[in-house]
Amino acid sequence: MPPVPSGLRWMAFCVVGLLPAAVAVGLAQSGAAAPPTDIQRLYDTSCGSCHGTDGRGHGPAADALNPKPRDFTRGTYKFRSTASGSLPTDDDLYRSIENGLPGTSMLGFKGILSEAQMRALVVYVKRFSPRFATEQPSPVPAARPVSTSPDSIDKGRAAYESLACGACHGEAGTGADAVAGGLQDDWGNEVYAPHLTEPWTFRGGRTAADVYLRLKTGINGTPMPSFADTAKDDDLWHVANYVVSLARKPVWEMTADEIRAHYSSQAKREAENPVERGRSLVNTMACGHCHTPADREGRALPGLNFAGGMRMRLQVWGDVVTPNLTSDNETGLGRYADEDIKRALTRGIKRDGSRMLPLPMGWPAYAHLTPQDQDAIVAYLRTLPPVKNQIPPPARLGFFAYLGAKFQMLIGGRDYPIIVFAGNAGSAGNPSGSAAAAQR
Amino acid sequence: MKRIVKWVALVVVVLAIAGFTGFLYVVPPLTSTDPREFINLEASMAPAVDGIADPAVRALAERGRYVLLTTDCTGCHVTPGPQGPLPNMYLAGGRRFTTNMHGAVVARNLTPDRETGLGQRSDEDIKRVLRSGVYPDGRPIPHSAMPWAQFSNWSDEDLHAVVVYLRHIRPIRHEIPPPAPGVAETLVPGAIEIVEGINAGKQ
Repeated sequence: MPPVPSGLRWMAFCVVGLLPAAVAVGLAQSGAAAPPTDIQRLYDTSCGSCHGTDGRGHGPAADALNPKPRDFTRGTYKFRSTASGSLPTDDDLYRSIENGLPGTSMLGFKGILSEAQMRALVVYVKRFSPRFATEQPSPVPAARPVSTSPDSIDKGRAAYESLACGACHGEAGTGADAVAGGLQDDWGNEVYAPHLTEPWTFRGGRTAADVYLRLKTGINGTPMPSFADTAKDDDLWHVANYVVSLARKPVWEMTADEIRAHYSSQAKREAENPVERGRSLVNTMACGHCHTPADREGRALPGLNFAGGMRMRLQVWGDVVTPNLTSDNETGLGRYADEDIKRALTRGIKRDGSRMLPLPMGWPAYAHLTPQDQDAIVAYLRTLPPVKNQIPPPARLGFFAYLGAKFQMLIGGRDYPIIVFAGNAGSAGNPSGSAAAAQR
Repeated sequence: MKRIVKWVALVVVVLAIAGFTGFLYVVPPLTSTDPREFINLEASMAPAVDGIADPAVRALAERGRYVLLTTDCTGCHVTPGPQGPLPNMYLAGGRRFTTNMHGAVVARNLTPDRETGLGQRSDEDIKRVLRSGVYPDGRPIPHSAMPWAQFSNWSDEDLHAVVVYLRHIRPIRHEIPPPAPGVAETLVPGAIEIVEGINAGKQ
């Protein structure tokens, strides 16, 4: 597909907004598999930046997301009303599109798209996997709900222990004493057992009925199994009621004293586990936005996470290449002392004593990180797997380019512009397959 | 006589050009070079939360301020001036980005101003931008300009705290032009985007 600017796509979509709706209704009724380009456009605009226009879950924005966007080609879906290992029903998919998945980047499209458009997307998304052509998913038989009561919660607690839920979710769902790390999904991504005390992050919903369904049908593609064969329906309802009862207050419902107590106990936990805190900081501070080279769509180049190599032309100073933050001993931070890293991060002073500009590296902002958070960042950076990617030294602009840029800045009164280049300027080069994309 | 005047004038002009060029070459591009100045400016721009009456809201805003400050939101959302950001325009936006795939986008005004800022946006609208990179009307936001994909890793509680803080900064009237989609013809070959040094907003 030729690169069409997304805004144009959007406008075109608005103009023909009714068309996909009509086609969708037609499709839903006739079961025809015609690929009208309007639905494709709707999908590309609304879903493509994360799930990719090819449905493989690797759109331009996917790399930084946790959890990762669904790969539609595998037909493996997490949140279903169907038996473990099965495909989801149309209504399951519709629900995820309509309400989104809480705690993730998957937004609810209710109010943004019409029902017919969302139905059309269900049809479109299913076409990525051949499984839908041969399998007919149907919901697990509805079990009689057990309403919550102190007795049910007690039974749920007992079942939580006998089913060993705590092995991943920790004692009383707090994550304490659980296998902290090492969990992986079928796509090889590291995953975490959610804290059951924070139901606002439950992807599939926070009601007892939602939790019951997760226990009954499992979460395909993840270590969360189905307990359909190992526990009775009533016990699963008891566990669901117990899990719902574990909810703690979120900060937006707390009093000032509770908020302070919450943050100080959170800081204490973070001090005990600096790598986790550092990971969270490095991800949210968008370090990878510059320290991972990207292709022209802004998609991270594979295998070069945090390996630096993104070239930027600072109009005045010349070309600089973002440093390699991985733990490599020769080309990365492996040769840096902790103090060197912190000094660069918070004072803009490089190891050789030379100084950084206040942009693009945001050290004047990072200077306000607490010492504990600075240590956490260093601790996490030390765990990044080494990638050999030697970064070239800065290159000055030519005489006239330098004078011209400085004239604009000092006489024209402009802040200095920065040109960000695609591709990896480090010694590792562009990974095969992405080089073409980088130059496109 | 006339000839001498001509020669003198020529020499003066040549000297002036040479002197100006030399001056331009030698003068440092930033008038300030003390790291502490940049660091203090960063913190002084972000208003303290002392003025917030409700203690619970104040405690949340304090957390939001820490997250916002240390995430370097001002790296983009401040109004560019001759020597870096204008200190009295905290989060008022205006920096223009010309991107390869998505035309020109301008850093938005994040202050609570009702007409030009976030004053009329709901909490959910703001959170949807930071979590999913989608405007209230469904338009996607190019992640190569605005790293929403990274910010999506904030916990729901930190996300909420950020929104609370944004509600309590000083409203500034600063109109930001809408994104101009289209393929940028001026883009340097091989570039993903140009972070421009000009303010595209109107006060």
